[in-house]
Amino acid sequence: MRDLVEFLARSVVEDPGAVSVEEFEEDDELVLEVRVADDDLGRVIGKDGRVAKAIRTIARAAGARDGRRVAVEIVEADD
Amino acid sequence: MSEEQQAAPPVDAAERVRGIVERVIDALGVDGTVDVIETDRQITAVVDGEDVGRLIGRRGQTIDAVQLICYRAAQRGAKERKRVIVDAAGYRERRREQVIGQAERAAARALETGREIELEPMSATERKIVHDHLKGRPGIETFSEGDEPDRCVIVAPLVTDE
Repeated sequence: MRDLVEFLARSVVEDPGAVSVEEFEEDDELVLEVRVADDDLGRVIGKDGRVAKAIRTIARAAGARDGRRVAVEIVEADD
Repeated sequence: MSEEQQAAPPVDAAERVRGIVERVIDALGVDGTVDVIETDRQITAVVDGEDVGRLIGRRGQTIDAVQLICYRAAQRGAKERKRVIVDAAGYRERRREQVIGQAERAAARALETGREIELEPMSATERKIVHDHLKGRPGIETFSEGDEPDRCVIVAPLVTDE
């Protein structure tokens, strides 16, 4: 799942090398935290959050296959 | 201007679209093939195989999500913007026929009852099919209302001043 979300995020940004995804469990949910370069934040979120929502929709559909609940969060890089 | 400037050169847009669709159907457990056709204005990826319903998703939300990601990926570094369509087992054409059928029924009812008829929530592409289909229809106007993803077309009788 981590690989899939990372792949999707990398597909839409200008700096794929800066994309990283952290995966952990929280309340029976698989949480994926996506980090991208500052300049790519808008690209991975999209107008009205449409790109982030699309990534979420695909990840949820993939998770539903194994009955997994999946949450995708776009995290602003903290330095 | 060195060649290294593009250390990981993005393969061309159509191949990027293919890569995304293949990756997603694999993750969804859809056993299918992907055909990609590119023209001057459009890149179309068509999936055929078993269980394509998993790719389509409820109200087409999964296939529309894949289409959006493909569109953004195809745009990256491209000089011109091409439309990107992701289709599966004739889904887009089937939806188009359904949407036009709904538009026709709504137009007939709007004229009959003199009331506004609200269609089910649709994507921007599907709303456009309705607007285009009923454009210039005597006595009828169409507009969209509500916020995504529940935005829908209203088919309304045209109010004349006379």
